[in-house]
Amino acid sequence: MAQRQSAEADSRLHGRFLLRIDACALTDLGRVRKNNEDVYRIEPELDLYVLSDGMGGQAHGEVASNMAVETVIAHCREADGDSATTWFGEGRADLCERSNRLASAVRLANRKIFESALQHPELEGMGATIVAAWLDDRRLSLVHVGDSRAYLLRAGSLEQLTADHSLVAEHVRRGVMTPREAEASQLQNILVRALGTQEHVEVDVDEQILLEGDTLLLCSDGLTHMVTDPEIASTLITFEPAQAAAERLVELANECGGQDNVTVIVMRTLTEPTGLVARLRGRPETRRKRVGKKAPSGAH
Amino acid sequence: MARLLLKFESEILREIPIGTRPLTIGRAPDNDVAIDNLAVSDHHARLYAEGERLVIEDLSSLNGTFVNDVRIERIILRDGDTILIGKHQLQVDTAHDDAVPSPDGLRKAPAPKINETAVLETEVQRELLRQTAGAGAAAGAGAGKLSPGSPERPRPATLRVLRGRTDKREYVLAGKLTVIGRSEMASVRLLGWFAPPVAAQINRRADGYYLGLGDRVPKLNAQPIQGPTRLRDGDIIELGRVRLHFASPD
Repeated sequence: MAQRQSAEADSRLHGRFLLRIDACALTDLGRVRKNNEDVYRIEPELDLYVLSDGMGGQAHGEVASNMAVETVIAHCREADGDSATTWFGEGRADLCERSNRLASAVRLANRKIFESALQHPELEGMGATIVAAWLDDRRLSLVHVGDSRAYLLRAGSLEQLTADHSLVAEHVRRGVMTPREAEASQLQNILVRALGTQEHVEVDVDEQILLEGDTLLLCSDGLTHMVTDPEIASTLITFEPAQAAAERLVELANECGGQDNVTVIVMRTLTEPTGLVARLRGRPETRRKRVGKKAPSGAH
Repeated sequence: MARLLLKFESEILREIPIGTRPLTIGRAPDNDVAIDNLAVSDHHARLYAEGERLVIEDLSSLNGTFVNDVRIERIILRDGDTILIGKHQLQVDTAHDDAVPSPDGLRKAPAPKINETAVLETEVQRELLRQTAGAGAAAGAGAGKLSPGSPERPRPATLRVLRGRTDKREYVLAGKLTVIGRSEMASVRLLGWFAPPVAAQINRRADGYYLGLGDRVPKLNAQPIQGPTRLRDGDIIELGRVRLHFASPD
């Protein structure tokens, strides 16, 4: 019943610091929905990973989520080639340029969806979540709006890097609801922030330095409403290649009911030494080399 | 005669006739329409006739009353409108009642199914957050803060070098992320030959600063950290031979 739409894998030596990255993205209809409103893209040349979950009836959610992903990628690509690219919204002094650029891209996507809905009354009410990660060597910029999440598995423990912009999550933060009540709540699908529903949107931004052996997971609520955090953690630990982990996570969501579209992007930095020199020196920074896509993952 | 159809997941549970007397909707048993569900407030909403028109009014409920997917305080109902209270729907049916005029071309798109995602409007959110702020404060939570990433942050903390070779003696932690190490991207640069590119990282979050792992495991007050650990005023961070003193004005 479950129908794979697409898969993408990327495993290569990475940039100046020779971080090796193994990434895979996967989306699935789930077992209930008739159409898939989730959209993802991996842009290996930019080291950009984007996921969006659309909403709005009659397949309009797809319009919003596609617009979100396309806009973010186009803006980042343009800025990557030309740092004078127009900024959208105020930059923040406490963030690096790339984080500000990614937030700018998300604000632009918000505006585009919002205006598109104004111009086309049949699209009224459409919106989307977004979670996007952009890597600059080892420095990760992470943005999100809505309830699509980013998790980091580091040294065996899983941390949720994003805070859901949902009514129940807001209630938990305010201490008026326990996390357990939130999980059982029937109001889980009510968001307090999304792309395209307001003229302006506040974008949450996080920054991290990636370490060898880190796994970053971006996912839509079709995963997190079905699968618990401990199950996500053990899956990411057990299934080492990114593709195997991604496939197992989607499978789990469907085994648990598959109530919604489920999309995951698994991105892993590898620990294996990359050459004799690097091994001797204990730091794999000196060699500069890229290998093509789909390098054998037997390397680790 | 006008009626309300009480539905749960598209199944009709009850049919409620609408007379001239107001109808109350809520979780408490003394309501005309009692809905036993935690998402419903004790006295959630009231429905009454106003002249020729049928009106629904939200009674400051916690989770709100929605009509055709829009949260309302008070609104005139039309035939076919769907009221959402918690996860239950009340459909307005005035088909056999001319008292409530049917709209012409003003009909919004049908309300989405409940398992679809909806977004609260900004005004509604503010109101809702204002309502829950009091409860949050009572529970000792961070009332008033919208969410992590809110611009209202404490004053920046500082790191003072107690021992070891670094490019400065003191650092202000103004950024969201502070990298400590030999790497070019480090804002706290370690100068020792054997220092790792990233010895540790410090993340500034809404509730304070967190020390995170680097290429090596940093020690906090002589103990190796397991994962992101909240820093407190006076903490000592050890990275190999480098010792740093964390000072936070808040």
